[in-house]
Amino acid sequence: MMPPIVRLLAKRLGTSLIVLVGVSMLIFAIARIIPGDPARIALGPNATAEQITMLRERLHLDDSIAVQYGYFVRDLLRGDLGISLYTNRPVTADIAQFLPATLELIVVAGLMMILIGLPLGIISARYRGSWADNLIRLLTLLGVSAPSFVWAVILMLLFAFFLPLFPIAGRITDSYTIEPVTGFLFIDTLLAGNLSAFADAAWHIVLPAFALALSGIGQAARLTRSNMVETYDKPYIEMAQSYGFPEGKIAWRFAFRPSLIPSLTIIGLDFAAMLGNAFLVEAVFAWPGLSRYGVAVILRKDLNAIVGTVLIISAMFLIVNIVVDLLIAFINPRIRYSQRAT
Amino acid sequence: MLTPAMVAKASTQTLLRLDEVAVGELDPGKASDYADSILMFNVYDTLVLPVQGGPGYAPHLAESWEADGTDFIFKLRDDVNFQSGNPLTAEDVVFSFERMKELGQGLSFVFDKVESAEAIDEHTVRFNLTEAYSPFEASLVRLPIVDKKLVMENLGEGEGEMKDWGQAYLSGNSAGTGAYKVVSHNPQQETVMEKNRDYFLGVPEEAPDQVRLRYGLEAATVRTLIAQGEHDISSQWLPPEVLKSLAADGAQILTETGGGAFYIKMNTQKPPLDDVNCRLALAKAYDYAAGITMVAVTDDVAQGSPSTGGIPVGMFGAAEEMLQRDLEAAKQHLADCKYSPEDFTLELSWIGEVPIEERFALLMQANFAELGIKSEIRKVPWALFTEQVAKPENTPNISQIFANAVTGDPDTLLYPMYHSSVAGTWQSPEYLKDDKVDELLAKGRTVTDPAEREATYAELNDRLMEIAPTIYGYDRQSLFAASNRVKAPALSDPEKAFGLDGMGFSFRLMEMTGE
Repeated sequence: MMPPIVRLLAKRLGTSLIVLVGVSMLIFAIARIIPGDPARIALGPNATAEQITMLRERLHLDDSIAVQYGYFVRDLLRGDLGISLYTNRPVTADIAQFLPATLELIVVAGLMMILIGLPLGIISARYRGSWADNLIRLLTLLGVSAPSFVWAVILMLLFAFFLPLFPIAGRITDSYTIEPVTGFLFIDTLLAGNLSAFADAAWHIVLPAFALALSGIGQAARLTRSNMVETYDKPYIEMAQSYGFPEGKIAWRFAFRPSLIPSLTIIGLDFAAMLGNAFLVEAVFAWPGLSRYGVAVILRKDLNAIVGTVLIISAMFLIVNIVVDLLIAFINPRIRYSQRAT
Repeated sequence: MLTPAMVAKASTQTLLRLDEVAVGELDPGKASDYADSILMFNVYDTLVLPVQGGPGYAPHLAESWEADGTDFIFKLRDDVNFQSGNPLTAEDVVFSFERMKELGQGLSFVFDKVESAEAIDEHTVRFNLTEAYSPFEASLVRLPIVDKKLVMENLGEGEGEMKDWGQAYLSGNSAGTGAYKVVSHNPQQETVMEKNRDYFLGVPEEAPDQVRLRYGLEAATVRTLIAQGEHDISSQWLPPEVLKSLAADGAQILTETGGGAFYIKMNTQKPPLDDVNCRLALAKAYDYAAGITMVAVTDDVAQGSPSTGGIPVGMFGAAEEMLQRDLEAAKQHLADCKYSPEDFTLELSWIGEVPIEERFALLMQANFAELGIKSEIRKVPWALFTEQVAKPENTPNISQIFANAVTGDPDTLLYPMYHSSVAGTWQSPEYLKDDKVDELLAKGRTVTDPAEREATYAELNDRLMEIAPTIYGYDRQSLFAASNRVKAPALSDPEKAFGLDGMGFSFRLMEMTGE
């Protein structure tokens, strides 16, 4: 008999695979239907008709979409996503180069969402009606109501231009030369044994990650607060208080833990969505990531790169969802054990 | 880990930081846009170079050449080595030409008239043309010479003897003779280049030791970086208001005119602009001075200079007198037009990716309304526009285009616009069919004497003004905001300008001031 958690994992992986196949078919078709000849765009305004015809033949663009999809699946099974018409390099090489930068950014942003958003929500709920609650609600409302690129520009102006505390652009100061091993600068600087470069990379990521996380921090704090406030009204809290349990234990064990499930779901969704949404923050801070690459290839109608980027972002979305599902199952035994009945 | 010696070396090196569009193509056979040109002109060399501050071409890798009908024979310098240490030979020139033709990308079309290239001896190469084509010399500024031996040692996967023609290798590595060699290249992030101290012409001490060409920086980021002293030269794509604010902060404004212009093109095959008088009415009603004001950055500098006609100033055949609005003449031409303003509405299109064109559409709408002409403004994405212009009936009455001569010769600018055989591209939405224009364009390709070419193109310019297929908005001028840490004579002194897009960014001619 398969343990319930493994059964849940197997089920989620199976459905994720089906979703990925569906996404690949959909994006493959959409990328080819939107107006504009990719060959003409790739070759630039000065290209001749002969050059365009040659490239169209090389890309099989004159075949039907079904036939083109067949070529795509054949190459995909060999781990080949084709050549990007935008950078003239294999799409897999581009993704391998740009994905770590974005992942590093959103992992730090995700940590900020958890480490700042949840405590703010707990404090706000615990001291509801107080000045601290009102202040946190106001600040989190600001975080939620402005898009991340607005925050990116504001943070840059405040903390890089007027008060030059943080760097303006890039992942690391030019004077550091770090040999890329994993592509993750936090790891590569440690592998190189260069703590000063590690600190420099951390210093560079603060503003873009915070700009990206602000909306999620606001959302996590507000959701945690409202769920905890609702939980505080439950009879079992009243019972715990009447038994004289310490306030901290009541807040953490009886009020926060049940309230965590919706917050975790939202944080998980926000985390995955950041992969696509990071574009403008990456653009403002000149962060060489996959989101910026994704938008650039869409604008250039770079078919192979569009499909490759969307597939990677979809896969990351699904992986994050699976992790969140598992975490929720871990926190909530009712979900975990319900797998036995299915 | 950085050693103290490395830190000391790094601190004494001069660094130039600049930015360009979203991606830089390092393979010289595929170079087409501005960022690619900057890379190409610094990492590679060409047989000839445009003369600074004047017309014509000067020897560069070639020390001399002679033309004989359809044959051009070039004698190469014998003191040039590639960055790899391999000596430059005629075989490298032949290989570079054949590679470009075979790839069929970038600006390879400028060599359409070249039948073959052959090495006569180690330092002599002959190009054989299919027909007499005098702009060939100019085309050679777009033939970067590649290190054949190095490329052949690094061929990637592909079919036949030449496999991938070194595409995979050259997209990330340099194989030129240029004054700068590539240290690292990430096409979406930055290219780092360092001085080639063995350059055959030498690189002055004042020239930057290291150059970082960054890609895809946002205007707000560039604005902040320059203000904080972390960036030296902006791209030309900054919005005028950002340039204006940088200039107000003390940044210098560098300029480059690359034989390009802003064109308002009229569809001559569709009513009412199939009548020359209607076209002339619009050309006379357009407010040229207001157009320049719209692209002004300071009182003295604008992203355009007044147009004098169909050929930008500085090229063969350019007129001298500035175009000006003449509403009375416009009314007269409209009265002679067979269409009455009450009976038509003009479609004024603008390219969605170029926001400034919307302002020009509004300017035209206001100008033409003074003649009683109604118009509708329509935004068209570039991809759709290139498809629309394939048929005259789908082509808007008026389209707006920025174009430039990729070799600096008027032929590469005017032939693709106005010859009747090439109608229906983004450059030729006029669908012009005029025997006189065809004849002069063909003549411009065959006459070799500079004075005769000047006379031919001047006559062509007169004819274009007579039949008005286009409203010549302004001659384009690229503007770059720069810190005072750098001097760039080729971008600030007209006597030292090359007149070719991107060549002003020859880093070896720049000076770091140490400020």
